[in-house]
Amino acid sequence: MAYHSPYRAPPHINAPPDQGFLWNIFQRVDKDRSGVISDSELQQALSNGTWTPFNPVTVRSIISMFDRENKGGVNFNEFAGVWKYITDWQNIFRTYDRDNSGFIDKNELKQALTGFGYRLSEQFYCTLIEKFDRQRKGQVAFDDFIQCCIVLQRLTDVFRRYDTDQDGWIQVSYEQYLSMVFNIV
Amino acid sequence: MSFHYGQGYPGGGNARPGAAYMGGGGHSGLHPSAPYAGAAGPQGVPYGGYGQQGHGGQYGHAPGGAPGGHYGGYGGHGGQPHGAPYGHHAPAGNMPPGVNPEAYQWFQTVDTDRSGFINLKELKQALVNSNWSAFNDETCLMMINMFDKTRTGRMDLFGFSALWEYMQRWRALFQQYDRDRSGCISGMELHQALAQMGYNLSPQFSETLVRRFIVRGGPHGIQLDRFIQVCTQLQSMTQAFKERDTAMSGNVRLNYEEFLSCAITRLM
Repeated sequence: MAYHSPYRAPPHINAPPDQGFLWNIFQRVDKDRSGVISDSELQQALSNGTWTPFNPVTVRSIISMFDRENKGGVNFNEFAGVWKYITDWQNIFRTYDRDNSGFIDKNELKQALTGFGYRLSEQFYCTLIEKFDRQRKGQVAFDDFIQCCIVLQRLTDVFRRYDTDQDGWIQVSYEQYLSMVFNIV
Repeated sequence: MSFHYGQGYPGGGNARPGAAYMGGGGHSGLHPSAPYAGAAGPQGVPYGGYGQQGHGGQYGHAPGGAPGGHYGGYGGHGGQPHGAPYGHHAPAGNMPPGVNPEAYQWFQTVDTDRSGFINLKELKQALVNSNWSAFNDETCLMMINMFDKTRTGRMDLFGFSALWEYMQRWRALFQQYDRDRSGCISGMELHQALAQMGYNLSPQFSETLVRRFIVRGGPHGIQLDRFIQVCTQLQSMTQAFKERDTAMSGNVRLNYEEFLSCAITRLM
């Protein structure tokens, strides 16, 4: 079935970086020395490779994924996860961005998502490009690519929860539907 | 029996729930006529029902093809010169017609790089909640997407002016629904607000929604930015649901990709 085995998380490509190295980075990113990296601190530290500011919505998605105590940022332990998450995505992105342009086009996006296990129609890929192409170039940059994958994964997870008989169809009420798309189930 | 998403839509029995945002077409100017406005009357209409005609019909025309995404336009500034000289120290006399004078003043201040456009960064610097926190990025992006007729990720003066009026209406509603004057909207207050806007949703829904945005140690409710974001998306999502629920049963059957596209084209 289309959504049965989509990509769960980036594969473990890299050996974990050593703690001293990470601590160094953490301190540089944590500009106000609060011990917690906030959205804006992380955003400033990240590059999407195209000289435009990193998508703040992607930053928020990533931080909320690792911020266990809902404190609005990540501490050093959590930052290790963030670092790994981003570098893993970076490696994936690079394998599809063959010309190193910093962008992947629709076909490359399709290859990537197909590789993760998604089976989606051609038209849907057009929708994805249209929605996640923040720079309006008809292609997606690294940060928007991550956001695209996060959103797909989230929606797939919630769909699966409702699709108890796994037939690829759900029947939902108005409020259930809203809860699904607002991600509050 | 048909399911009522909400009958509170003003405009009487044949209100067009959720018909906002369809703009995009050649509507001229701002017609804050209609949707959802609850008790607030035409002045208080939040969801820019810009340009829609007030007559009934189910939930209006399909938004397909509306430029600028599903939040649609704020009405094509019929015939107004786009390259109007809203330059540096333009006297008020140079203000293009159809632009809110206050918005015009603000535009000069907010457009810090004098590009003639407001980008995400400039918008974020300009908008604050009642506790002086900056507007969150998702809401700023959403608003740019709504009012960026140019599809360049930024707003021109006309877009900004429409956003300005949109914000004023939301701010008034926010204050109205913040009954305890705490500066934020609690789960219960949100539920009351949504009920008055005509949504038929459980109190738990609002509670959970608000809880999702509360940061530890922060206020016990949502600020203006989240309120705008939540209500705008709720409207858009309701519209998407209705388009599928042709029998008005309150239930829809969706396959995986339908669900994804429904959510993705409407979210943001």
